[in-house]
Amino acid sequence: MPATDDLAARRNPDGGYGPVPRAGSEPEPTALAALALDDDAAASWLEAAQGDDGSVGMRAGAVFRDVTAPAVLAMRDPAAQRAGVGWILASRARAEPSTDALPHDPALRGWAWTSDTFGWAEPTAWSVLALRVMGHDGPEVDDGIAVLRDRACVGGGWNYGNRIVLDEELPPFVQTTGIALIALHGLDEPMVATAADRLATIWPHEADGLLSLALAAAALRTIGHRSAAEVARRLGERQAAAADADTIALAWFVIALGDGLERLAVT
Amino acid sequence: MHHHDEHGAVDRRTFLRGAVAAGVAVGAVGVGLGVRRALEPEPWDEAAFPPPGDAHVAVLAASSYDADLAGPVEDALRQIGADVRGASVLLKPNLVEFDPGTSINTDPRIVAAAVLAFRRMGAASVTVGEGPGHRRDTMFVVERSGLGDALRAVEAPFVDLNLDAVEPVPLRSRYTRLGELWLPTSVTRADVVVSMPKMKTHHWAGVTLSLKNCFGCVPSRVYGWPKNVLHYHGVQQSILDVAAAVRPDLAIVDGIVAMEGNGPISGEPVPVGAIVVGDDPVATDVVAASIMGVDPAAIAYLDEAARFLGQADPERIDTRGEDPSRLQASLAPAPGFDGAATG
Repeated sequence: MPATDDLAARRNPDGGYGPVPRAGSEPEPTALAALALDDDAAASWLEAAQGDDGSVGMRAGAVFRDVTAPAVLAMRDPAAQRAGVGWILASRARAEPSTDALPHDPALRGWAWTSDTFGWAEPTAWSVLALRVMGHDGPEVDDGIAVLRDRACVGGGWNYGNRIVLDEELPPFVQTTGIALIALHGLDEPMVATAADRLATIWPHEADGLLSLALAAAALRTIGHRSAAEVARRLGERQAAAADADTIALAWFVIALGDGLERLAVT
Repeated sequence: MHHHDEHGAVDRRTFLRGAVAAGVAVGAVGVGLGVRRALEPEPWDEAAFPPPGDAHVAVLAASSYDADLAGPVEDALRQIGADVRGASVLLKPNLVEFDPGTSINTDPRIVAAAVLAFRRMGAASVTVGEGPGHRRDTMFVVERSGLGDALRAVEAPFVDLNLDAVEPVPLRSRYTRLGELWLPTSVTRADVVVSMPKMKTHHWAGVTLSLKNCFGCVPSRVYGWPKNVLHYHGVQQSILDVAAAVRPDLAIVDGIVAMEGNGPISGEPVPVGAIVVGDDPVATDVVAASIMGVDPAAIAYLDEAARFLGQADPERIDTRGEDPSRLQASLAPAPGFDGAATG
């Protein structure tokens, strides 16, 4: 697949990948590329970038952008993976009170994009997925699944954040719905089937975005939805766009059409 | 009765004075900023922010995006004395989300028009950049909004500020406790940064104009979707620190079709027919807010920004072009900002 070569060609001499071609290596694109290509050098880069506390991410002053969950999925070294799981379990999001403007279950936490902030759909999905793939089934996983249940849009799927803000029902996004579905695959949860059917309806409206289309294809393939082949066909027609895409979108393109999904499977 | 001088300047200042005065009674939108002020009366580095000088703002009447906009935008830029010869220019539109039924984003046609205007004025390069805070798939928003086609038509590059190389920028104002922001080099290294917001109401900030629009310069791959850490530090406080770090040199506000009510996403489109161009983001936002029917002094961050980041004194804002009172609208305020409405 040409996209596989395009992605591999973006590997930096240090083994990592940048967010766009010729950019310096960063944890998140490196993790996604490692998953897409089963790339030992990228996995080693992530293991070397891991902190003593098990975390992997970007530090910008006082702000820590946490990328530990996808990194754990991409690592090879079991000790590094265990340390990463330990960090994930210890670094859940802040619980916040529910308000009329932002109603949600205040007992739930999930995971945040950055340290010591509120939990959001995508980072929660990644952490749930990493813990499930690593065989962890404790209360933290239940909490993450409950967060996704609590935040699911009316009618199914996930926005980037809440179900309702200021009395407005927020619409689902293809990209966020895709990663949440991958995180929840195999669970006997009504929200999974509802979200999958919603995704099968909304993906054509966001097919201009390669990342969205790739996540739709990956998610629908993961859960074996009847529309998976059609979405994959549409994605396959976008090889030229993939070559120009950012590294994470390109990596998802390769994952959706290749065997990277095996590395995200809960067995 | 308002009095006109030969340029209409007195009448325009009267328009601004009326809008500002209406807000004095409204008062306490920004309690958090009041507390901050009590702790440190002037939380900014004096050397970095000398007292604001005179500002220049041009108001254009424009009822359609299909008309020639490049010519009028160029004229407005020349009226305010903008000089971009040989400069690398970054245009930062407001590109948040796509919904075909509303007016969330800066219209692509005015972005393309600005590209042409800056080129005609001798800019060495004109790049368009944005880092959407809701959608991780930036290219989806770029393409569905029509911005992609508009920029291809004028052969202008787009940079996703969420993915651009970043560098730390020490904050010279202290409304948050962030201390520094990591910002895209396309922003930090541009000779001229032009904030190009949609004129709209905003349910956390009151209004989105050129200062609030700077949020899109904060890269989401570092700070998340949304940039939640900024909300923890206070939306109003973060607007101040982010805008003070970005410090847009120019502002072009798209108010041809604005948004009212529950903005920045779920509001309703409303034709206002105005483009506001300025060399001072605070002054530009003061004029634009006044046209919206929003009292600038009742928008906490804007009122505070006037203390150090730009000019809000009507006597020191040289307003040219269309008489803004002729474009006066009365936009439905965002939830929680009823007291800011002047209408």
